[in-house]
Amino acid sequence: MKTYKYLFLLIGISIFGCSDLEEEPVGLLAPDGFFNTVDDIETAANGAYGHMTHEDFWGRKMSLTLMLRGDMVDIGDPTTSTRRIEHNEFNVPTDNGMISGYWLRVYQMIAAANQAIAGADDVNVADEIKNPMTARAYFARAFAYFHLVRQFGDIPYIDAPITDLEASSSISKTSAADVYANIIADLQFAKTWLPDTQIARSIPAKSAAHSYLALVYLTIGDYQNAYTEAKGVIDNESVYNLGLEADFQSLFDASQIDNSVEPIFTLDFIGASNGDDGRDYQAALTGLRDDEQYGLGGGWSVGVPSLEVYNTWDGRDYRKAVSLDTTGVFDGVLQPYQVFRESGAGRGVNRPHIAKYTRAIGETATGNGRGSNANYMMIRYAEVLLIAAEAHNEISGGSAEAMGYVNRVRARARNSNGVTSGLFPEDIAGLSQDALRDVILEERKWELAFEFKRWYDIARRQLGSDVFSASGLEGDKPNFDPSQDYLFPLPAQELARNPNLLPQNPGY
Amino acid sequence: MQKQLKNLKVKWIPILVFTLFGFALNAQQTVTGKVTSASDGMSLPGVNIVVKGTTQGASTDLDGMYSINVPSQESILVFSYLGFTTQEIAVGSRTEINVALADDAAQLNEIVVVGYGSRKKSDLTGAVSSVNSKELTAFPLLDASQALQGRAAGVVVQSNNGGEPGAPINIQIRGNTSIGASSNPLIVVDGFVGAVFPQPADIASMEILKDASATAIYGSRGANGVVLVTTKKGSKGKLTVEINSNYSTQNTTNELDLLNADQFAAYQTTLNSGYTQGDANTDWQDLLYRNGSTQNHQFSFSGGSEKVNFYASTNYFKQEGVIVNSEFERISFLANVDAEVTDKLKLGMNLFGSRGNQDGVPTQSTGQTANGGGDDVVSLTFRFAPDLGIKDENGNNTINSVGDNVDNPYAIATEGVNSTKNDNFRANLYADYEILEGLSFKTTFGYSTRNQNFGLFRPSTLIVTAGGGTGGSATIQNLKNTNILSENYLTYNREVGKGDLTLLAGYSYQKNTTETFSAGAQGFTSDSFSFSNLGSGAVQLIPTSSFSETEIQSQFGRINFDWDDKYLFTATVRRDGSSNFAKNEKYAIFPSGAIGWKISNEEFMQGIEQISNLKLRASYGVTGNQGIAPYGSLATFGSVFTPINGQTVINVTPGQVANPDLKWESSYQTNIGLDIGLLDNRISLSLDYYNIDTKDLIIADTSQPQYLGFLNPASLRNVGEINNRGFEINLNTRNISNENFTWTTDFNWSTNKNEFVTLLNGEDIFQDASPGYFNIDRTHVLREGESVGVFWGYEYQGVYQGGDLPAGTGLLPGAEAGDQLFTDLDGDGEITPGDDQKIIGDPTPNWTFGITNNFTYKNFDLNIFFQGSQGGDIMNLTAVQLFNGDSNATTDILNSWTPTNTDTNIPRARLRGKEISSRFVEDGSYIRLKNIAIGYNLPLELVEKIGLDGVRVSISAQNLLTITDYSGLDPEVNFLGSGGSGNQNTFNGFDFGNYPTVKSFNFAVNLRF
Repeated sequence: MKTYKYLFLLIGISIFGCSDLEEEPVGLLAPDGFFNTVDDIETAANGAYGHMTHEDFWGRKMSLTLMLRGDMVDIGDPTTSTRRIEHNEFNVPTDNGMISGYWLRVYQMIAAANQAIAGADDVNVADEIKNPMTARAYFARAFAYFHLVRQFGDIPYIDAPITDLEASSSISKTSAADVYANIIADLQFAKTWLPDTQIARSIPAKSAAHSYLALVYLTIGDYQNAYTEAKGVIDNESVYNLGLEADFQSLFDASQIDNSVEPIFTLDFIGASNGDDGRDYQAALTGLRDDEQYGLGGGWSVGVPSLEVYNTWDGRDYRKAVSLDTTGVFDGVLQPYQVFRESGAGRGVNRPHIAKYTRAIGETATGNGRGSNANYMMIRYAEVLLIAAEAHNEISGGSAEAMGYVNRVRARARNSNGVTSGLFPEDIAGLSQDALRDVILEERKWELAFEFKRWYDIARRQLGSDVFSASGLEGDKPNFDPSQDYLFPLPAQELARNPNLLPQNPGY
Repeated sequence: MQKQLKNLKVKWIPILVFTLFGFALNAQQTVTGKVTSASDGMSLPGVNIVVKGTTQGASTDLDGMYSINVPSQESILVFSYLGFTTQEIAVGSRTEINVALADDAAQLNEIVVVGYGSRKKSDLTGAVSSVNSKELTAFPLLDASQALQGRAAGVVVQSNNGGEPGAPINIQIRGNTSIGASSNPLIVVDGFVGAVFPQPADIASMEILKDASATAIYGSRGANGVVLVTTKKGSKGKLTVEINSNYSTQNTTNELDLLNADQFAAYQTTLNSGYTQGDANTDWQDLLYRNGSTQNHQFSFSGGSEKVNFYASTNYFKQEGVIVNSEFERISFLANVDAEVTDKLKLGMNLFGSRGNQDGVPTQSTGQTANGGGDDVVSLTFRFAPDLGIKDENGNNTINSVGDNVDNPYAIATEGVNSTKNDNFRANLYADYEILEGLSFKTTFGYSTRNQNFGLFRPSTLIVTAGGGTGGSATIQNLKNTNILSENYLTYNREVGKGDLTLLAGYSYQKNTTETFSAGAQGFTSDSFSFSNLGSGAVQLIPTSSFSETEIQSQFGRINFDWDDKYLFTATVRRDGSSNFAKNEKYAIFPSGAIGWKISNEEFMQGIEQISNLKLRASYGVTGNQGIAPYGSLATFGSVFTPINGQTVINVTPGQVANPDLKWESSYQTNIGLDIGLLDNRISLSLDYYNIDTKDLIIADTSQPQYLGFLNPASLRNVGEINNRGFEINLNTRNISNENFTWTTDFNWSTNKNEFVTLLNGEDIFQDASPGYFNIDRTHVLREGESVGVFWGYEYQGVYQGGDLPAGTGLLPGAEAGDQLFTDLDGDGEITPGDDQKIIGDPTPNWTFGITNNFTYKNFDLNIFFQGSQGGDIMNLTAVQLFNGDSNATTDILNSWTPTNTDTNIPRARLRGKEISSRFVEDGSYIRLKNIAIGYNLPLELVEKIGLDGVRVSISAQNLLTITDYSGLDPEVNFLGSGGSGNQNTFNGFDFGNYPTVKSFNFAVNLRF
């Protein structure tokens, strides 16, 4: 019958679906079969570096935590979130929101690095071709674990992609000593294979691995190796294309830092971001509330140096002027720090504010200087000189060589606007081992002020009882307990997820 | 201010007393007249008229006219017509009797659409609610789904964003059955699974399938209930052309009583002696709010010949929202054609298309600290300093002088661009062939596509939101979704002795693909580019794109067997395979069974005249919920924004771990129902009890250690169980029904208890609905034994008066006299997060109800529709913000504690953290006059003179009256967390920054010719 014609036509177009229901994702990558070329290793290693610029890590959470734990930056706005104040006051609960905020991010960095390192095994080319790329992942992994081990001591240590979920979910902690050994091994690999220089300092070169080795050895008190590695960097100054920037101010100028020889490894924010991915907040956190001078819409006055920082910092030191803002502009009028609060809407703080992250950060993605163009220097050449000085002073007390390194840093500090315009800070000479040790730590304090280094110096040198006493820069911190506070608490949530990570760090 | 509404139900009782009856009596010899529909005055052809107690009868002609001989003046004429209330009229001495028949919502012979077929309402064994076309058009609706609110027991309908033009509408049937997967019902339009709603005036009926017996035929998508929509079709006879037009004006239901500039400056000066008052006095609410309007015009024509019938319509809708610069415009069309090609073969087609154009303003605070919560005009309207104007002395947009830097809301609303365009198209073809008598085969093939273009632009003049001096930022996002559906099924029907057997068996295949694309740039040389010239931006953001595909293939079957019109039996089964689920769990079977017993048809019931219908129903079945994103079970890579050397670079990072056992959530539902009809079904009552256990809940497994380092650290897992149980009442009464006057009442009431039975490892899941800049982590909790999303915070104990602390209370660090006193739960003398927080409120209402009264008197009709909710709490996050010191405040702040004003519940004015406490939990119970409408049908004589078939005019008002103790703007709150991104399943009862609910006055004209 004729009508069947229509019917079969419809049935024909209808029953075309008989599917096996297998999912074949397009545009989503799966680990299987991903790694074929050196470019694939780079893609995977890049992931690790992407996490470093997230708000969770250097954008805000970890960097601010380190800043507030030190003795130089105090809470400005008292209504800021409790989780920040807890670090400033050494009153950190085990579920502190800063720690739980960045813990995951650091391990994401590690997972990405592990993926790149494991994936490199699948790439069938000679070591000479692929290892320089894989070395970036080794460096990233060492960089991440180095932060964790300094903050938490014994930690869960993962060095391969997760294949057995259950086994990986129930591991125990690895001792800090073993973690350090692994960090050193990773950095040795990186130092061996990374090229002497890269096209940008945001990609680690041999100099980065070399310098970090020095810092790692310094941290664990292996001064001989710290000196050897730091000296190795200094000896290769020209091979690595390193030097000191003539004008200290240029280090904090987003328009100049890209071409500077002083940074060794940087996190390069680009004034654009995807939400909190790739967005930094230091300008907002440290900027002066309601201030108009940089056109950023003012900051939030969250991390503001204690007044003693300003008072004890020699006014002749050019670095003080670079590092701090003592004036702000309100309603078009220049006002001194003594009236910051009254000049704005009442949440300002009458103390000089940090200028390193507000004065010349370039275009920002959004208001208050969030999403800036700043390059954050994870390590720069001046620090390598100070590492060499500190390490050499320990193995050869009061050495002229050690003092020489300090004097190089000081000489640059005398260059105001790039020309020598003062006599301060003067060169040092003839100091005893103990005196020199103090001078070097002081030098690190001012030279690297607000660069997130101070807490680690306090912790590795166990300075807490001194710097958090009534005579410290921030005044008495009664909650500081040297038997507890050099380590942070492991996130309570993580201990609950895997009880094999117990015990919690002492005191928490 | 909380909990005072407890005895509210007492107030409602008078409203519920509505059962009144009225009759009229009379008699004569030859009677003529016309029968019309009471609701629209249309003449009714084919109405059956008999003289009561005789076999004498007649029926009306095409114009509704009739003539009948009656034996005496005492005779009674009975007028009956399908879908209308049967009316008895005593003849008396009259020779002409014109009758207006009232619609009968409770008609038992009504045909109800069920999945893949239809049933007589009296033969249903499942729980099915219907909404008819009259209820759909009782007042203007933006979206047909809104008609379900208060109309069907157990159905909760809420806008995603108050009265925002074009905002999506959320529907939930019988509670929340999920956490991680969707809780929205499946929408089926004319057999097309997963369609968008057509225009309200195009809909003939909507059926809401609630129990498993009704929904199991939809298998893995049936767990949240199913809404079946049937659009209008043409009928044989002359061409009917209909024009509907309505226009309404709208305004906000309410405004907050905020401080004016002087009060504000005085208040801020107490917090900061250096505060300098600005020189403006701006009422931001006045600036932002305006009178909105909607207009809706629909033109339709329908008709048919012996073999072909058609219905076609086109609709234009435009809404100007009550916030400046927010609008929505939509054009749509619909066409249905059905043809009988031969006696055995029918072919047909449904076509639907629409374009929606939404120009929005940002609401529902994005709350990212990244924007200081600063691009949400609603909350900014309350927060922003009233002593600032729109522009400062330099002509720049002002930035708030207190709290975080934020642009003023007027500038954001008027200078930003936020545009969404949606194109929808759907075509559905079918062929229906009768192979043998009683056996027919139906095949359908459908295609639908949706294109969405979203554009966002923040000009450089928005200093904070666009970034200091960056020259503006723009983003575009495109989405294309395509859906292909093929269904083929056999239906067999035959009588077996006293029984009636219907069998159904079918196969279905559906494929859904989604493609997305987005790009963005910053730093434009001109603000005039909007988002239409991304290439000119100095900074290019990384474009993104994605593709995903889902396939479902299924076999399904159903047996209906009715014995002697007394015993009803239904069994269904569906086997679904879904690509979304893991390798080992692609397929599952969803069975259900139901029985019905028409007790009133039993011999022993025959003597009881008062009971016209009595039916008991019981059903049990399993349905599924596969509403999770594709690829959720696979191991994947993700990526992160990675700037290296001044630019972003491609990268991957481990995304999620594979879960080869991920499968659908399964709901095991029992339903017991009783249908009672009294006094010739003038009173009909349905009672339903249900219990739903949803197992294998898909929960993000936060128990996976984070050190594993996956980008998504909590992979999806089937753990957990949730229980919903409740009781529903539907009562329809025809209180008065006579020649000139009818009064009917529809009442529905439902209660649902929702409880987590099992959560992952029994652990609480804390969530945060507050805007990011509140800097708090927890606002609500999912906890075993509790209902979904109970509020979490401190327990407020009033204002600390100084001196010794009252026993069991404590203060936050740094607090002094005049500050907030909280319960010290752990007794350690201080108030600390975690230790001193507890459950402080439950947003789930105890019950909800709707009551509609319809009156007709001659050509007038009146519709009064109340809707309400009792016992749900609201977390007033707006108040948290406004008492915080860093924003404007309501005038309540003038009564804050001072050493001389100690008898107050409001703590002293100061800057403080935005702590969540019971202080901000309020009773959200309300009764709302959702609609009141008066309509008038012009007399037919008059209408016919001007060549028309019918003219109706009506005026109505929506949300005219709301009775509530809630102190915020409106008790129907719907803040979904930062950026509206929160999980609709678990974010309930939060008030903050959503678009205001509107009150509207409406005028409508309906012409038919």
